[in-house]
Amino acid sequence: MNVAITPAMVGQVVISGILAGALYSMVALGLALIFGVMRVINIAHGPLLMLGAYTTFFLHSLFGLNPYLSVPVTMAVLFVVGVVLQRTLVFRVVDAPELSSLLLTFGISIGLVNLAQLAFTSDLRAVEYLTGSFPLGPFAVSKPRLVAFVFAAGVTGLAFLFLRGTRLGKAIRATSQSREVAMVCGVDVQRVHMLTFGFASALAAAGGALIAVIVAIQPEMGQIWTFKSFLVIVLGGAGNYPGALLGGMLLGLVEQGAALFLTTQLSEVVAYVLLVVVLLVRPTGLLGGRQT
Amino acid sequence: MLLAALAVYPALGTGYGVRAMLQIFMWIALAGSWNLISGLTGYVSFGHVAFFGAGAYTGAILVAKADWPWLAAALAGGVGACAVALVIGYPCLRLKGPYFAIAMLGLNEVLRALVSYFEGLTGGGSGLSLPTLHATVPIYYAMAATAGGVTLLTYAIITSRFGLRLMTIREDELAAEAMGIDTARHKLYAFLLSAVGPGIAGALAARDQGYIEPVSVFPLATTITMIVMVLFGGKGTVWGPVLGAVALFVAQEFVWARFPYVHQLLFGAIIVAVVLLMPRGVLGILQIRYRLPRTI
Repeated sequence: MNVAITPAMVGQVVISGILAGALYSMVALGLALIFGVMRVINIAHGPLLMLGAYTTFFLHSLFGLNPYLSVPVTMAVLFVVGVVLQRTLVFRVVDAPELSSLLLTFGISIGLVNLAQLAFTSDLRAVEYLTGSFPLGPFAVSKPRLVAFVFAAGVTGLAFLFLRGTRLGKAIRATSQSREVAMVCGVDVQRVHMLTFGFASALAAAGGALIAVIVAIQPEMGQIWTFKSFLVIVLGGAGNYPGALLGGMLLGLVEQGAALFLTTQLSEVVAYVLLVVVLLVRPTGLLGGRQT
Repeated sequence: MLLAALAVYPALGTGYGVRAMLQIFMWIALAGSWNLISGLTGYVSFGHVAFFGAGAYTGAILVAKADWPWLAAALAGGVGACAVALVIGYPCLRLKGPYFAIAMLGLNEVLRALVSYFEGLTGGGSGLSLPTLHATVPIYYAMAATAGGVTLLTYAIITSRFGLRLMTIREDELAAEAMGIDTARHKLYAFLLSAVGPGIAGALAARDQGYIEPVSVFPLATTITMIVMVLFGGKGTVWGPVLGAVALFVAQEFVWARFPYVHQLLFGAIIVAVVLLMPRGVLGILQIRYRLPRTI
């Protein structure tokens, strides 16, 4: 247990933490967008990620599509799923009390997981494409995680450019600041809600597509991602989009640190303690409650 | 009449029947307890099975390692679950909104990881076996008492000023604070009370089964079932959880058990349908149609 902590080990934690953190940031950005725009915590966010992983798996195993090339396809598929979910179910509870939206998305989440179990069975699946790691000085860098980092950073960067630069992106940010004012300024709020849910699902799907290469795919892989994404947006400050980036990195570092210095078994416990401590000390998140 | 019938049932019924009744009592206790926090204050607990598991482990460890009698261990299970609720509820219930719900979503995963990790005490992943004991009938009465206790407690709370304050928090927390209600403290009390029932039920179930391991006492499916039962019967009512527990347990036992995934899928669909179509549940609809009093 008590091994001497060397600088190389710390460096390893930092590298693995940042590689994992970028994925957390990207997936959590989706949850943050839905929460910011609709004030709905989407419990089904993780199961949507799971569907993304399955989409990539089947594109790879049935059509031989390169898993990394499948990322945009998977995102497009889940964008449609997200829009359909929003138009059929979620829009009905946007103005309802929190209890309703939490329970509704919880019901959707159970539905998605069990549909996946029926359709795909509980067998563990894997996309075998890229494995192993390469040395970088004294550190080992996992190849699939590095590629996932590059993709996640790219997708997150594009998402921010989109939010900053385009009319629709501005409409999304305006709606999350004040729905009434946005409406008065001529923003079609219903349409923004629908598209935001689609984009958020696409972000979750990108996460699913990227980790499909890294971990085993099974119907229940998603739920923990809902929890982790929420932890990330709590760390960053709910409704604060750049905060999600910081929160994701922080979660990645803490988890990797816990895995190295304690044991991998307890890394989830450490993340949970982190959540409780942040809620106690700074409930508005590390960057405060500022809106962007 | 009903009480008397339930009291003599173990003497007359089959082994299977007694076991099924035991399960129904357990579900009434679990659903009723979820209703205490989520139905009354509107704070959704997505991890209530954590208290069932905490009670099961507290009780089982005391029986296996300290030779406690099962009834005392069951009560200790309630206390153990209450302690977990205090640790989680104190930080999370001071906040409004969904923080509490998500914190509860992670809780059972965390407890499962912890009991797997501390192998010396809990037996880790290989589980904990209890000495054999043929006490299904006494446990039947204990579980019935737990279910009755939770239902009685719900009635006492709903008809009290404390219950009124809790429901004020549910309807408008800001207004409740403005009226001078210490909302954090009220929510915490409701949460602690809602942990006792699952804790005792967990310890009793562990004693009855004689063997526990991390995966079997912290299943997400149990939380889902509790929530579905309460929503279906009518949240925030005294008899809603009882109605939901009996109706869904019977349906589950005789119809859906043959199709495991379809049955879970159906639970998801029931939640969605109840939230969208009849947020007050079956009992809520009956209350409005037949002008029944709120305290039913």
